[in-house]
Amino acid sequence: MTHLKKSHLLIGVGLVWITLSRIFQGDQTLELATSENTSFTSSVGDAAASIRGNRTKGAAFIYFFNPIRAAITGFVEIIRSIISVPSGNSIIPVIGWFGVVAIVAFTVYATSRLRTAILAVSLLLACGALGMWQFTMDTLAMTFASVLLSLLVGIPVGIWAGRSDRVLKILTPFLDLAQILPTLVYLAPLALFFLIGTASATIATMVYSIPIAIRITAHAIRNLNQSPIEAALSMGSTPKQTLTKVQLPMAKQMIILGINQTVMAALSFVVIAALIGAPGLGKPVVDALIIRNVGQGFVAGFAVVFVAILLDRSTSAAAKAQESFIPLTSQQIRRGRIKVGLSGLLAIASIFASRSVLSLAVWPGSINISQQVEDVTNHATKWITTNLYIFTVGFKDFISNWVLNPLETLLAFSPWFVTLSAIVLIAAVIGGIRVAMLATGLLTLIVLSGLWHEAMITLTQTIVATLLTMGIGITLGIWVGRSSRAEKVLRPFLDAGQTLPAFVYLIPMLGLFGPTRFTAIATGIVYSIPVVVKIVSEGIRSVPIAMIEAATVAGSTVRQIITKVQLPAAKKSILLATNQGMIFVLAVVVIGGFVGSGGLGYLVILGGSKPEMQGKGLVAGFAILLLGVTIDRIAQASARRT
Amino acid sequence: MVEEQRSASSGGASDGRPPAVSVRGLWKVYGPNPLSIVGSPDATLSRSELRAKTGCTSAVSDVSFDVAPGEVFVVMGLSGSGKSTLIRCLTRLVEPTAGEVFLDGEDISKATPQRLRELRRQHFSMVFQHFGLLPHRKVIDNIAYPLEINGMKKAERHARANEVIELVGLHGYAHAFPEQLSGGMQQRVGLARALAVDPQVLFLDEPFSALDPLIRRDMQQEVIRLHRELGKTMVFITHDLSEAVKVGDRIAIMRDGAIVQIGTPEELVARPIDDYVANFVRDIAKSHVLTLKYLARPALSGEDIDGPELAANMIIRDAAEIILQTHKPVRVSENGKFLGIVSSEDILRLISGVA
Repeated sequence: MTHLKKSHLLIGVGLVWITLSRIFQGDQTLELATSENTSFTSSVGDAAASIRGNRTKGAAFIYFFNPIRAAITGFVEIIRSIISVPSGNSIIPVIGWFGVVAIVAFTVYATSRLRTAILAVSLLLACGALGMWQFTMDTLAMTFASVLLSLLVGIPVGIWAGRSDRVLKILTPFLDLAQILPTLVYLAPLALFFLIGTASATIATMVYSIPIAIRITAHAIRNLNQSPIEAALSMGSTPKQTLTKVQLPMAKQMIILGINQTVMAALSFVVIAALIGAPGLGKPVVDALIIRNVGQGFVAGFAVVFVAILLDRSTSAAAKAQESFIPLTSQQIRRGRIKVGLSGLLAIASIFASRSVLSLAVWPGSINISQQVEDVTNHATKWITTNLYIFTVGFKDFISNWVLNPLETLLAFSPWFVTLSAIVLIAAVIGGIRVAMLATGLLTLIVLSGLWHEAMITLTQTIVATLLTMGIGITLGIWVGRSSRAEKVLRPFLDAGQTLPAFVYLIPMLGLFGPTRFTAIATGIVYSIPVVVKIVSEGIRSVPIAMIEAATVAGSTVRQIITKVQLPAAKKSILLATNQGMIFVLAVVVIGGFVGSGGLGYLVILGGSKPEMQGKGLVAGFAILLLGVTIDRIAQASARRT
Repeated sequence: MVEEQRSASSGGASDGRPPAVSVRGLWKVYGPNPLSIVGSPDATLSRSELRAKTGCTSAVSDVSFDVAPGEVFVVMGLSGSGKSTLIRCLTRLVEPTAGEVFLDGEDISKATPQRLRELRRQHFSMVFQHFGLLPHRKVIDNIAYPLEINGMKKAERHARANEVIELVGLHGYAHAFPEQLSGGMQQRVGLARALAVDPQVLFLDEPFSALDPLIRRDMQQEVIRLHRELGKTMVFITHDLSEAVKVGDRIAIMRDGAIVQIGTPEELVARPIDDYVANFVRDIAKSHVLTLKYLARPALSGEDIDGPELAANMIIRDAAEIILQTHKPVRVSENGKFLGIVSSEDILRLISGVA
């Protein structure tokens, strides 16, 4: 009964909204030309300029920001000089490419098994063959440095939050916020204080990946089987003994999985941090996107994908190796030690070789297939866009004309107070009065920022992409949830999809759809489908088997089981997936500023490249944050109220 | 009647030694301002009324009892009766709201964290329903854990662990990991670990509830054997009355956080204090618990009173064969004093439940 009422209310709000929008279309839309500043954005710009001007004089800089910047830059440069850039007076890094390959092979072999080591080596060599050796090394160095520093902070804090309810309570809002915040938003504020360059990029990466390390470590400690811990206390263990002898050993596998997640987050951030001067593979990706050279983008993109698979496979294999506490037989252990010892010696020999033989030190220029890859992909893209025009452009135009444009008219070209009231009313109906009040506050701030219109453009794209994502994602999710064969087939793609940096998805989409709004939307869809499918399929699979059996015995058809049993029982998972999907989509849609999506993302990127637009870019970043929190709160509340 | 009152109040330490465990007015109340409930009129409300009125739940309400040295004291109750909270209050894994717990005369509710750790390391230990073994350690290192945290050297603690391994019948399993063992074997490890420090008191929290019935019976025998060999004082929690009767010297029956009745198995079966206890003990085979004293009655006119004589403290089940084979009623006497007679009919009536 109340449910029916709710949907009636929503339809009512929608009808009034559409009517008002028709009547007042184009009035009070708060539109602002791209290059135009409001007094607020220019004063933010002035403030940013004065911060920048203070860099050599201000006490905060001299005693805080600058020393941190120097220390972190120094740390990263040491790692880079080992594997990537010429060290000291030498013309080569401390370890040449052959040595790096040997180290990777040895490390992966020692922590997991031969097959994973072979995969890792092949991927690394492929990066070299793509002509991306040094970029790859820079990315690895940056990722390694940021992960090391992130874990140094994240694991201890995570352990603390795992043991203390108070610490967790204090941290939770920040951890939640970090999950909502799109990567793009982190960059400009950090660059303001730490300059463009490796330090900013490393710190931004840390800010992004530390919450992940904290969250998973705390979760690992909290979700342990409590019975051994209680037993340990009953025997008189001190808190320290309980931690080191009971909790940490038990949580080890989960913490290594946390390291895997931290590594993947850091990698995806290091790639995007090219925007604030991070060395590495992000740079050729950005360059290719700017000049719209899909083939060139593919070359760099492949290298990113290879590095992602390399890091993911090797860290998750290491976690898998910890699955059981039962060790092998002593004979197997001895044989393992001999293997590791021998391969270690081999690795050391390779390192020395890579320091003395030039062709093993510097990646040989003759092994380079980047031009071929570029040509082939450009060719393929051209073929697709000319021959499959009807599908790509047809689909794009269909969505643009029938979904995107009408929704944009409704959201961005109605008077601002009409749209704002409509959103607040919707929030009230599905989330309750408190969420409605929060939404009012957040949206009012967006209005005050002067970027309302741009925010509504971004929101439109986010909603359209989410709708399409959910349509595809729920269908696939049901399939994967019901069929273990489907799971087997799709699982590798879902895993890979979750680990790839959002940035690289832009490249093929740019090839298919050209620089348009739709490119960002399509990228958002492709990027967020894996997470949606995962959550929905887990929800479907966790429906108790007894419910399915009861429905089957009662004579239900497959369709009835899905619609009347599984979907209602998995409703919470679906809402949760919608929330996650929206947050993922938002993160990508703003990056789409690169390929012509407009909206807030474009302003952020513009702010990074044009000094006079810096203020507006910073405000746009803040508006993205406000928009993200609004979306998240409304979606969370609707999930909670079911 | 007199005897029942005595044992309920003073704890059946018949030899005058001070009790090993003594609990006085113990409370555990969850909720806002828990101390205000202790001893107040509200405490007499039912659980749901109390929660409705104050938002508090009283898990343990004004519990007092004594456990004699070497005694096996069983706390028996259904789930939610507060027995698990009670045993955790005794070891301060849960902090009691009010009351005192004396172990060998020392009030552990006042012990500093330091002293509490000492007591836990040396004076008492605990066995858990879900074993609580460390999955990353071998059996021997699980058993040696309490010695290890007390700073004992590796060779020494392994030697001690090996002794206990033999004691509980884990021979040959020292280097297995917990997940390689069956539930029953895992609980043997739990028992061994608790015995490793040679504690004065052993607390067992539903130690066999997670095991299947056949294994459970073996383990109950094992506890009885260990108790006979080592003579440890035990506080044993269970929800299974037949287990309580089997292992317990005395049983406390708990309901809604309070103790309803304390007594020997015989006392509970013979004279349940209320319908609740009566309901519980209904399914217990009386002949397995009661002694001849319970059946002894004056002779009716015409009955033979020159039958064979049996001791009053003989379990009826054990006496049944003799009585049924004798054609006369048997004479029951206690310390030479004649209490009455028991006939074959009395036995049959009791066993068939007609009585």
